[in-house]
Amino acid sequence: MSLNLSRRTQLKAGLAVAGLTLASGLFVVPAQAAQVTLLETGSTLLYPLFNIWVPDYTKMHPEVKITTQGTGSGTGIAEAISGVAQIGASDAYMADAQIKQNPNILNIPLAISAQTINYNIPGLNNKHLKLDGPVLAGIYDGSIKNWDDPAIKALNPGVKLPNHTIVPIHRTDGSGDTFIFSQYLSFSTPKWNDSVGFGTSISWPAVQGGVGANGNPGMVEASQKTPYSVAYIGVSFHKEIAKAGLGTAMIKNKAGHFLLPTAKTVGAAASGLIAKTPADERISLVFSEGADSYPIINYEYAIVNSKQANPETAKAIREFLGWAVESKGGNAAKYLDQVRFIALPTRIQELSKAQIAKIQ
Amino acid sequence: MRVFRPGLLAVSTLIPLALLAVLVFLTTYSWPAIQFNGLHFLTTETWNLGNLYSNPVKRDGYEVAVGATYGIWVFIVGTLASSAIALILAVPVGIGVALFLNDYAPQKLRGAFAQVVELLAMVPSVVYGLWGLEILAPLVLTHIAPFLERVLGFIPFFSGAATSGYGLLTAGLVLAIMVLPVITSTLVEALKRVPNELREASFGLGATRAEVLLKILLPAVRVPLIGAVILALGRALGETMAVLMVSGGALNYLPDTIYSPITSMAAFIASQLDSALQDPSGMAVRSLAEIALVLLIIAVIVNVIARLLTSRIHIHRV
Repeated sequence: MSLNLSRRTQLKAGLAVAGLTLASGLFVVPAQAAQVTLLETGSTLLYPLFNIWVPDYTKMHPEVKITTQGTGSGTGIAEAISGVAQIGASDAYMADAQIKQNPNILNIPLAISAQTINYNIPGLNNKHLKLDGPVLAGIYDGSIKNWDDPAIKALNPGVKLPNHTIVPIHRTDGSGDTFIFSQYLSFSTPKWNDSVGFGTSISWPAVQGGVGANGNPGMVEASQKTPYSVAYIGVSFHKEIAKAGLGTAMIKNKAGHFLLPTAKTVGAAASGLIAKTPADERISLVFSEGADSYPIINYEYAIVNSKQANPETAKAIREFLGWAVESKGGNAAKYLDQVRFIALPTRIQELSKAQIAKIQ
Repeated sequence: MRVFRPGLLAVSTLIPLALLAVLVFLTTYSWPAIQFNGLHFLTTETWNLGNLYSNPVKRDGYEVAVGATYGIWVFIVGTLASSAIALILAVPVGIGVALFLNDYAPQKLRGAFAQVVELLAMVPSVVYGLWGLEILAPLVLTHIAPFLERVLGFIPFFSGAATSGYGLLTAGLVLAIMVLPVITSTLVEALKRVPNELREASFGLGATRAEVLLKILLPAVRVPLIGAVILALGRALGETMAVLMVSGGALNYLPDTIYSPITSMAAFIASQLDSALQDPSGMAVRSLAEIALVLLIIAVIVNVIARLLTSRIHIHRV
């Protein structure tokens, strides 16, 4: 009985303390005044970067609260247009027709990213297989069914490829990764360009056994759990890819060289297109010229409506994105190296800043 | 007092009104898609949003993306096949569990067991999906599918190796576990209501326990049983999240084995909406709405069949 009583008093005391904390919390919040809340949603490839940016940024700017979500580039674009999210993250730029319908939407590059082609072939995952556009297009359109197909053998002489059905994995959600991967197939393989084309969500040719997965995490998971599969995954997931023990392919570029994505090869691919980038910065960096150019790279975009609901929100977005593209801010090596992105070149940084200034 | 009755009437008309509103909305919203797609919508296997990066073109008087075609036969098959597998597995098991709970389980256990069944019915579907994704899918790939192929490989649909753990079988298994409590709890309630005299009389005539269960009790509850199966089918047909997570998201091809990846209509609507919203012509979203309309119509048909079946049985007994 006495034990019961003391427990009850403890409970009461605990509740009182909790109540006080809660109450003080309630009073403190209004005292802090006008906290701006921003929602960032979209690209699962950009998500890991936002996740390391936001804690550091909000520590310096406690008046801003930023929520991040990895929901796929399709959602990022859709929710930036609808106004649900203030910042939509996308690996794909928007189409002309879509811009015409939504003339206030800006596509602002924040960094340069790359995509890896990964596979799960038991016994071969520690080797870098060589693959090119036509072979990948063949795998994804069903004309190449087995890992020991002559076309794959021809690219990998001396490698003992298994006689096993290939399981191609694609994204089911609207995805910038699908966009740049299908661009690589379209630009390198005329047949794919004519029959399928590119987009954030494409009509995947019928491949018996082909699997759909949700987001980059879903791609890693499905590939890990499915032996003999092949998948396209954003480079910011390199840690997860390594943990899952997947192999990474060397990909053939326009000049005919097989390359892995490194700071050097991604930088080389971007350099040729810096001067060509227009003021609205919507341009593909896929399959570019140059001997050292890794073929599947892209600008990572913030999709933002230039007409925000109120000046405070607009100012908070301007300041955050301004910091994000700054070499001493979000584009610093300490952030980008973790996700293997590369920083925006000076000219692109200037273009992005000019676009950020339009957010009102 | 005078307010009470009209008040109740107003509240209760909300239900048919809500159904009507959904039906009217889906029909009017998807009307351009219905006109544009025609009957091909139901019978073709290719779903293609078209090239969203080129300007929309006029086709048959409608503005659509270049190369857009909308065919949902693959999703209809995926939906019906996964639900069928779920019912084939869950109905006999559900009947067995209900009979056991009603007649064999020790009195003390009954209450607790019934509670567990109720609890299972309340688990959110995403939890089943996660379990299916993490535990069941790898198990299907490494053990269940090879076993089925060895034992039932002589049946065409069971032969052929599974290439991944995601697909028709996994979706069917997850759905079976999800609908099992629906069947069991409905049936347990129905069995409780069977007059005890019926049971006692049968025993008095010398029937064995198994005979009483199978020949007396089960026929006595066939109307609630049909109701339970329809409820379960309704849940399986419309299940979105769990199926999305384990179905393998097949696009543009029909399953050739029970292990093949599939997509259901509900899961497809959920996964494609954001991509469809990027179609400047708007036809993609309207076509998704048309899928929703088809799903609703299938649900209505299932319900009507259930009504007919149960009413016919009633007439028989009278």
